[in-house]
Amino acid sequence: MHSNQKLNMGNISGSENLEESISWLYVSKDSLLRMSPLRLITNPVMFVVELSFLVVLLMTIVPGAFPNLAHQSDRAFYAYVTVILFVTVWFSTISESIAEARSKATAASLKKLEKEGIAKRIQENGSEGRIIENVKSSDLRRGDVILIEKGDQVPTDAEVLEGIAMLDESLLTGESAGVRKSKGDTVIGGSTVVSDSIVAVVNVNPDETYISKLVKMVESSERPKTPNEVALSILLLGLTGVFTIILFALIALSLLLNLGADLSVLIALYVCLLPTTIGALLPAIGISGITRMSKNSIIVKSGKAIETAGDTNTILLDKTGTITVGNRLAHEFINLGSHSEKELAEAAFLSSWNDDTPEGRSIVELAFSKGFVPREYDALREGVHEEFSAVTRRSGITLVDSDDFTLPKGGREFYQRHRFRKKFELQTPLTEDTTIHKGAPDTIKELADICPDNFDDVVTKITSEGGTPIAVSMNGDIVGIIYFKDVIKQGIKERILGLKKMGIRPVMITGDHPLTAGSIAREVGIDEFVAQAKPETKHQKVKDEQGANRIVAMIGDGTNDAPALAAADIGLAMASGTFAAKDAANMVDLESNPSKIIDVVMLGKQLLMTRGAVTTFSITNDVAKYFAIVPVMFVSIPALSALNILGLTPQIAVLSALIFNAIVIPALIPIALRGTRFKPQSTLRIFLKNLLLYGVGGVLLPFAAIKLIAVFLVFIGGII
Amino acid sequence: MIGVGYLLITALVWAIIISLAWGLSKYFRKVYENEKTFLDWFLDPLENLIYRILGIDRNRDMGWKEYFLSLFVFNIFTAAISFVILSYQGMLPLNPMKFPGINWSLAFNTVTSFSSNTNLQHYGGGSTLSYLSQMVAIQFLQFTSAASGAVVAVAIFRGFAGRRDESRNLGNFYVDMVRTMTRILLPLTLILAVLLIGLGVPQSLGGYSLVKTLSGSFEIIKVGPISSLVSIMQLGTNGGGYFGANSAYPFANPSPLTNYIELGGMMLLPTAMLFLFGRMLRMKNEGRTLLIASYGLYAIDLAIALVPVTTLGAGMETRLGGFSTVLYTVTTTAFTTGSVNTDLAAMHPLVIMAALMGMIIQATPGGIGVGAMYMLMYVIITVFIVGLMAGRTPEYLGAKITANDVKLAVIAFLVHPIIILAPTALAYALGAVHAIGLGTGPVGFTQIFYEYTSAAANNGSDFLGTTGNTVFFNVSTGIVMWAGRFIPIFIMLAIAGRMLDKKRSTEVALRTDNLIFPAIVIVSILILAVLTFFPFLAIGPILMHLEGIKNAL
Repeated sequence: MHSNQKLNMGNISGSENLEESISWLYVSKDSLLRMSPLRLITNPVMFVVELSFLVVLLMTIVPGAFPNLAHQSDRAFYAYVTVILFVTVWFSTISESIAEARSKATAASLKKLEKEGIAKRIQENGSEGRIIENVKSSDLRRGDVILIEKGDQVPTDAEVLEGIAMLDESLLTGESAGVRKSKGDTVIGGSTVVSDSIVAVVNVNPDETYISKLVKMVESSERPKTPNEVALSILLLGLTGVFTIILFALIALSLLLNLGADLSVLIALYVCLLPTTIGALLPAIGISGITRMSKNSIIVKSGKAIETAGDTNTILLDKTGTITVGNRLAHEFINLGSHSEKELAEAAFLSSWNDDTPEGRSIVELAFSKGFVPREYDALREGVHEEFSAVTRRSGITLVDSDDFTLPKGGREFYQRHRFRKKFELQTPLTEDTTIHKGAPDTIKELADICPDNFDDVVTKITSEGGTPIAVSMNGDIVGIIYFKDVIKQGIKERILGLKKMGIRPVMITGDHPLTAGSIAREVGIDEFVAQAKPETKHQKVKDEQGANRIVAMIGDGTNDAPALAAADIGLAMASGTFAAKDAANMVDLESNPSKIIDVVMLGKQLLMTRGAVTTFSITNDVAKYFAIVPVMFVSIPALSALNILGLTPQIAVLSALIFNAIVIPALIPIALRGTRFKPQSTLRIFLKNLLLYGVGGVLLPFAAIKLIAVFLVFIGGII
Repeated sequence: MIGVGYLLITALVWAIIISLAWGLSKYFRKVYENEKTFLDWFLDPLENLIYRILGIDRNRDMGWKEYFLSLFVFNIFTAAISFVILSYQGMLPLNPMKFPGINWSLAFNTVTSFSSNTNLQHYGGGSTLSYLSQMVAIQFLQFTSAASGAVVAVAIFRGFAGRRDESRNLGNFYVDMVRTMTRILLPLTLILAVLLIGLGVPQSLGGYSLVKTLSGSFEIIKVGPISSLVSIMQLGTNGGGYFGANSAYPFANPSPLTNYIELGGMMLLPTAMLFLFGRMLRMKNEGRTLLIASYGLYAIDLAIALVPVTTLGAGMETRLGGFSTVLYTVTTTAFTTGSVNTDLAAMHPLVIMAALMGMIIQATPGGIGVGAMYMLMYVIITVFIVGLMAGRTPEYLGAKITANDVKLAVIAFLVHPIIILAPTALAYALGAVHAIGLGTGPVGFTQIFYEYTSAAANNGSDFLGTTGNTVFFNVSTGIVMWAGRFIPIFIMLAIAGRMLDKKRSTEVALRTDNLIFPAIVIVSILILAVLTFFPFLAIGPILMHLEGIKNAL
């Protein structure tokens, strides 16, 4: 299933390697351009606010054009209303521009990743064989064959044709782990070859690389609306319709019944009642969703996918990489034959001292913790190291005899830190050069001359328990096996609990034996798992869940995963995976961190919640606005002032309500951009919290705010 | 102020009606799901005969469009028959009082009114209509319109319940109609009519008689098939009275006991429909949600109306007392029945305001069938607005509420303000209001606003009565009544058709079957529906109240 072997663990939280800086000049310019009626018409709520602004502007200039609806003496008031209405529209376009600017900033920082480099292009030249020429990486085209050697940076996305190499993808993923790539694997532009060399065929043109796609995605302003956005827009359009009917009915009745209402006041009521808050912030919320995904280094193929993620019922989690760290750590030394545990541990220690992989480090740490530290430190300095190679799948060391005992560089600190001061005795003093090998059991068995009888039994036992055996041999004699066990990712248990609280069912998928799978699942609190999964198992599981009308999210990397990724509602492919997988998925994670599927689901939920919260707030705000404006609306009916519970004079009441209506927009921009905060809890509790904050709060807050603004206006008026 | 005794009476009426409705809904479910009931031995052969005569294929299951079309054509057909009878009653039998045929605009108004379950009356029944007209044109439409409301709700419930098996659709309109008549409306009307006859309501075809009263003057005693009409007018939330004075007329409502029985009669079926929703969905708590939301709003209505009941104004029904009059007035609008036991003009402005609220909401619990339908419309809009806050695409009954559902629900929601406000303004602009002697003050405005609100909500109670018998009011209210009836039905059937095939998830984020959700629905209705009309209530009944105008007399 895994076309490559990852040697390092991924980090759970997305690395914030993309900085943002917003150009305020761009925001101010762009927001004014967006006020053009032709562009604003896509946002009906703000469009009618702009129309209202134009009408009141006309009232300010020629009040005579509105007999019985406007008065010469109120021109100053009309001017105030005009300004506030203009600012209301402007605030809305500013919020959109800020969101857009943020996404541009994200795009710009992503672009920095694409450095111009030199590539080695291979030209087949009949008689002379291959010629290698140096070309600029931007000159590479699909189909070009390139050579990438140790130390080279991969110039662009390509597929390996020959050779096996270790690659460092840290520039893209923020992880320093080496990744093994062999024929058929994809190498991503920007990563570095750390061992061996490969020949690869370029499979994208310069503007088609994954980074270019990401940049294009976050930059594009042509963003199709997501299904919930469409539905919400329809609701807003409907509410606009209701209030428009009311406005016209009020204008007509005011004239027919001689109620003496001023057109500017009716328009003010109209604008206040319109769902301007959500109308203004809806586009910004949508843009911010994609921007935040990009910041997590996830390419989303459509905004719809993020939204669907919020609806996830079942989440299929691969055991390896998601629940456990990608690699297993040394857990136990199992000595074989006549050899003691100490012998094995010391041999393992010596062979791993220069091994910087987590596996290697874990062997040294285990030996230290058990007190098995060999005395041939000096020998290590002079030893001949056989580095791990993807071809041989083993590493080793050949030691030269020495009597002195000195700690190697860096070893002293480690030794002291462990407060380990025992004198070491070597079991079998080295009288001649010693060669130690460690690696996969079959490789070592092949290499060794002497193999203990129970070797295969132990290997089978460890494997059946879900562990990984690594054999160690000394001078052709197998001394034992190191038992590698799964290590549960830090924090994964809490995250799984969070998922369960929110009503999302995690299902673990693993090729392991059911017993092993069961014990790991129990440990992290997963109730359902599929063990001994075959490549097609995931696809079947996706289909089964969907058959029960559940929305399924999953991750995948191999070509085998492609059908399941395509079938799943949310398919998150790893950038390190094959093209088939990435093509089938609707999101690609550049950091290749499988746990991020959980972040994707949470972000989807947050996006929906933010829209709901701002909509609810926008609608509940109306209560206070009715009570501020309606009592003072009809000049000819003083009796209605009994309803004036805020006790405001007519013009102050109207201006205060309008000002409140306008400043709520910028006040909520931070919420629109970063989303409403929520902790993983039951959906009912999350809902009730939001309802209390944005529903009940939305009714109460404006009463206080409008009164405060009114007091302030009166105060300012007093000064002037 | 409201005494504890009044609260107890209200609670008692509610308890009795809710229990009866709960029990009846069990029977209703069996009727609509073709299960065995105790009347089968008698009704099965009868219904089969009807199906055979009318050529109805009882196994034909209809989609929402066919269901609506059948309903609409059926209603046009029954309205047309009634129109002919009313126009030519002078030449037709059963007319001992020799009333002439009525003019086209009044006939148009009357048939649109009765066929839309509104029963707005611009005529004085006792002095205009023959027995044939009362029984065939009026009572017939009272049955068919009530049954139409019930079957629409049943079809919508089937849609919301989802397709249980491949073949199931929204049902067969004709079968539903026949079964509603034979198994629900006729038996219940019969029971109620007999009960009322026993309590002194006349049922006769013997003609009016002239008697010499104790004071020596002569008076025409108007009797007729009153009890049956009163029964169906209440049960079917119709509201059109035999007499212009409706249930304020002693023969239609002789005693406090008949008053409460009639009150309960109009509450019974709309309440039963709410329970039926839960039963047909096999989710009883969802029915409870609709019930709590409806009755919660009804209680708010009552609270507003009962605050000012201190003294009886001029013209208020003294026989039955202030409290029962107010309770009746609020209930008749809350259930959009429109029968009255008092002169509306005698009511306190706040009672009028409560009445208007009931008709603005239309789901408190509203008319038979359609009340539940409107409540579902509000539920969909509410679920959509607040549901997002649970962090998922909003779902109702496990089905996702998508853009098209929102579109349909919002259009249905828009109908009401348009058909109330546009003709109200038009009536003033064209001088029709002044023509019937009403002014531009709060009293006149309240009466006109009430007229169209009542027409749009298919309620039927009104201030105008026979003064509304002008071409403008007859035609405009007629159009409003049909628009207010059939446009929302069309849209809600479309939503039901969509719901039928929606995938249902069993893991729902925002539960609608708890006690929190109905409270949210109530608040959402108050903000979305009632506050929308706040400026108009302010210049009508609220202003009357504030200016110290006790009533419209």
